[in-house]
Amino acid sequence: MRYRLLALLVVISMIIAACGSGDEDTTTTAAAGGGDDGGGTAEVIDIDFWVAFSDEARLGFAEDRAAEFNTKHPEYNIEVTSFASYNDAFDAAVLAVDSGEPPGIIHFFEAATRQALDAVGADGNPIFKSVTEAIAGRSEILGEPVVLDSVVSAARDYYTVDGSFYSMPWNTSTTVMFNNMEILNAAGITEPPATWADVETACEAIMGLADGPSGCITWPNHSWFVEQSMGQQGELLANADNGRSGRATEVFLESDGMLAYLDWWKGLSDSGYYTYTGLQRDWDGTSNAYLAGEVAMLIYSSSDTTFFDENAEFDNQASFMPRNGDVDYVGNLIGGATIWMLDGMDTATEDGALAFMNFFSNPDNAADWHQLTGYVPITEDAVDLLEGEGWYDESPNSKVASDQLAAAQNTPASLGALLGNFVGIRDIITIAIEDILVNDLDVATRMAQANEEANKSLSEYEQLYGN
Amino acid sequence: MLIIGLVAAAILGPFYTWRNTDNPSASRFGIASAVAVAGAAVTPIAMGQCGFAAESTGVDHLFAYGLMAAGALLGLVALQALFDRADGKKRDTVAMTGEIRTGGYRMGWWVPWLLLSPTLIILLVFLYRPAVETFTLSTQLTRLGAPRSVDVCFSNFTEVLIDDPFKLVAYPLLAIAAIYGARFWVKRAAPGSLSRRGADLAAVGAMLSVFVALYAVFSPGGGGQVAYRPVYVNTVIISIGIVALGMVGGLAVAYLAFREIRGGTIYRTLLIWPYAISPAVAGVLFFMIFDPTAGVFTHVMDTWFGIDVPNYREHAVLAQGAIILASAWKILGYNILFYLAGLQTVPIDQIEAAVIDGASAWQRFTKIVLPALSPITFFLLVTNLTYAFFEVYATIDFMTKGAPAGKTSVAIYEIIRVGVNNGDLGRGAAQSVLLFIAVIGVTLWQFRTSGSRVSYGGA
Amino acid sequence: MAGLAPGVQRRGWFRGRKWPFHLGLTATATIIAFPLLYAALIATQNNPEIFSFRTSPGTALRSNFEAVWVKRNFAGAMWNTVQMSFYVTAGKTVLSLLAGLAFVYFKFRAKWLVFFFVLVTLMMPTEVMILAMFRMVSGFGWQDTMTALVAPFLASATGAFLFRQHFANLPLELLEASQIDGATPIKFLTRVLIPISWNVIAALAVIQFVYTWNMFLWPSLIIRDEARQVVQVSLQTLTNIDGALTYGPLMLAAIIASIPPAIVFLLLQKRFMSGFAIGQEK
Repeated sequence: MRYRLLALLVVISMIIAACGSGDEDTTTTAAAGGGDDGGGTAEVIDIDFWVAFSDEARLGFAEDRAAEFNTKHPEYNIEVTSFASYNDAFDAAVLAVDSGEPPGIIHFFEAATRQALDAVGADGNPIFKSVTEAIAGRSEILGEPVVLDSVVSAARDYYTVDGSFYSMPWNTSTTVMFNNMEILNAAGITEPPATWADVETACEAIMGLADGPSGCITWPNHSWFVEQSMGQQGELLANADNGRSGRATEVFLESDGMLAYLDWWKGLSDSGYYTYTGLQRDWDGTSNAYLAGEVAMLIYSSSDTTFFDENAEFDNQASFMPRNGDVDYVGNLIGGATIWMLDGMDTATEDGALAFMNFFSNPDNAADWHQLTGYVPITEDAVDLLEGEGWYDESPNSKVASDQLAAAQNTPASLGALLGNFVGIRDIITIAIEDILVNDLDVATRMAQANEEANKSLSEYEQLYGN
Repeated sequence: MLIIGLVAAAILGPFYTWRNTDNPSASRFGIASAVAVAGAAVTPIAMGQCGFAAESTGVDHLFAYGLMAAGALLGLVALQALFDRADGKKRDTVAMTGEIRTGGYRMGWWVPWLLLSPTLIILLVFLYRPAVETFTLSTQLTRLGAPRSVDVCFSNFTEVLIDDPFKLVAYPLLAIAAIYGARFWVKRAAPGSLSRRGADLAAVGAMLSVFVALYAVFSPGGGGQVAYRPVYVNTVIISIGIVALGMVGGLAVAYLAFREIRGGTIYRTLLIWPYAISPAVAGVLFFMIFDPTAGVFTHVMDTWFGIDVPNYREHAVLAQGAIILASAWKILGYNILFYLAGLQTVPIDQIEAAVIDGASAWQRFTKIVLPALSPITFFLLVTNLTYAFFEVYATIDFMTKGAPAGKTSVAIYEIIRVGVNNGDLGRGAAQSVLLFIAVIGVTLWQFRTSGSRVSYGGA
Repeated sequence: MAGLAPGVQRRGWFRGRKWPFHLGLTATATIIAFPLLYAALIATQNNPEIFSFRTSPGTALRSNFEAVWVKRNFAGAMWNTVQMSFYVTAGKTVLSLLAGLAFVYFKFRAKWLVFFFVLVTLMMPTEVMILAMFRMVSGFGWQDTMTALVAPFLASATGAFLFRQHFANLPLELLEASQIDGATPIKFLTRVLIPISWNVIAALAVIQFVYTWNMFLWPSLIIRDEARQVVQVSLQTLTNIDGALTYGPLMLAAIIASIPPAIVFLLLQKRFMSGFAIGQEK
């Protein structure tokens, strides 16, 4: 009977083990599959590429480029894994490093640049390695030309920390405004509004239309738009030159520029011009409202320029993000994400990763990516290529983002902030704005509270990560 | 200050034993005193006496004393069990564990342990260990993947509470006093008298005073404190809403459906199937119905009734109502299921007698059916409450994500927002401990009440 | 509800006309079904059709299905969820049976302590310690694995107590007869106890399966890799198919995700209802 008892326990442990091995299979077969099919030349090196997109177009682009690279370099196998969000990918990377199974390269957004630089593994060493350092001055790797020197200045300036590129720029955008010209024209407005005052004038006219839309303008309640406005007005978001001449230890959420912007926003909302979808960071809801003709203007990321061109059933025109006409324009900043390379890979693997990242943003691919989405072409070579093809004459909306970034001065304010716990601080900003819009609170009072919370959050971050 | 606590433990320990033991003796009092001191000393030693450090506040002292008292009490309860064993008051393991009274297997001592070991190991690793770690985390400032963490003593707790230690003690004590007072009154008043009615009202008021006391204890924010009061209010509103709507609706439908009628089985299946639907899917379905752009609700209200319904995510009442409706719909099937079972046990002869006495349908319902269902009602109250505390997370995540301005962010949603999305593990863990205390409270209440009322009988 | 108390007829309650009840029940059933029926309608439509509030089935069922099943690999998520639910249900049932066996048919030292150890976990829902568990399980290196989805839920006080209660109410002669035959505890379990306990096992299995299938919070934390995600969480990525909010595929996916637990529930409904004791999953 003891044997039977043991047998039963064996069965149980097998059930438990099966759970574990069941998914082990999915991990390793994919990788090993690549290895076995490699043609037997040499051992195939697997490099995991974690991508924080899950939609078909963007994830598909990454998967297709990986497949092309794998065909071109059969000794490598780039394996794309999809994550629902930047945060998901980053959290997973930190955990994976701790447990000793890190990906090779990972797609990670601009706001957490400081956090990525500060991230350490269980051994206390930084997780990521500077790509400039890894490239070490080479002009090509495994036959793939290095494109880092050709990266457009806006992205270069944003991502250069201590004089070096830590990560490889990929999807880079800025905020632009999309205008339903049919509604604007009906209201007697011929040009997209350029300043805050212009927007108000236009909205007054539009809301006066007999069969006009239910709202005038919308944009997602996302801190990125606030940061853009700070850049436009030349206001710093944090000390130490926005965290670019040293570690930022203080944030400024009560600056004149901040209050001016939020007062304008709240004013639009109070007069019924601004439509709030009720959700924070609601990209989908706002874009739907614009496409459904419920608002005449949409401030959005340039990343969806192509999408709006294809899906708008009206004359859709892109323009610069409206600015504060009372102060001098300084500059808009970028948004988007870069590809970070994990430290601790052997030379062959690292070279493969570097070669792939440069291949990924070579002029052809960068141009395709721009055309597919509306993210700015990331290198000057790609811009030249697109100009040569006459793309911008064909789709003028696609040029607006690049033009806007080119118009920016290179100051710490227009570069945007490098901040610890920026994701959390962004959350504090969005919550405060929602509070102001929904609960009709006083801007200055509420932002004073947000400022206090954000500074507490930053100082706690510095306690854990600072020097 | 630590000394005061230890001295108090040394004195009160023997007092506890004196009240509970059958054989008081000097040696037992001595042991009790020592155990109480040791129990009280555990947490200050583990936490480096941080609650009494120079910069600590009155609220910190309060927490430190509270933990000392809890440690001492746990030690004394365990000691009491030992004393009882020594006195021959063995626990009735047979009744408790369901052990058969005669027979049973006589095999190696390890056989039952082997049978139990998978269960025990899983519970130890995946319930006990994280429970302990939750408490540890709650005293730290720490982030996922951070190179270091900082001990912050009780500050993760004190920042969600009001900062006046006297009010912090007084409000809960007042509520407890109100409950005991009302109980006393109910016992004294003769059934049916005017005084009894007043007493019943007072009992309800005393119950409500618990909610009020908790409301007063949580910080409204400002002055460096975290505004936890709104989270508490959201949790109370949404939980009570779900439980009330789900249970009243469940009972009403069950009362309609339990009768013998042609096609009854089909009707019942059509009524209870949402049991199989997930909270996430419930969120998705109601997300669609209430969607301001494409949802049928806004459209119908507008075209049929000419009511321009605002976006529900911008209005606290609408948003909370939508969450409550979606969750109550999902849990309705479960409640119907149990009430249908419960209605089978209603004594039929009493009903028939009542019919003969000329009692109205409503009187029959309130006087006979409701009391007969009270065990089921109580059971459902607890399970519905658990659902409203935890499972509602997915529904909220699909429908409002806490909007507007955090008005649908309930305790569990806030834990994840703070602990995972903001990566602030310490604060998230502290909020988890608060929820933990709430759950322990509800469960103990369930154990105390259900012992006499709900039978756990199988079929 | 035929199985519940088949002997008890409630005719005495039922005086007067029947049609109001038919009417009431039909109306109630319709109201309860409305969200799902509406979702089924939306699932056949594309955005323009939805925006025009068309009340007849749309033209997009096929493309919605392709978006869900092929483009987003919802099939993969379904399979992950099937595996998870199966492992948890099977594992928990076996472990609970063993625990029930040990509690009822064995005497051993400190049994009441063990019992208490299990009992206390009724007060410890996973959700209140989810942050610590997330950190701990991640520390095991289990993120994005099936083990992380299954292992923490393999044991439960509810299951153990359910079988303890059930076995304790069985006649003693069963054990005596089998002991005379010299059957081992495992043989006793498999040959005697399990065959007469199918109703209880089915009740527990339905509860477990539905509960596990519907889990959301834990998978959303521990599984980040989209390819290994379970359906309830995968639904979230379906709000945006091609760059904008798309309702049809989301509704279709919600319906698909509800089919397996609904089937399990309906198939085992009779056994479930006759077998369930008042026990619930926490």
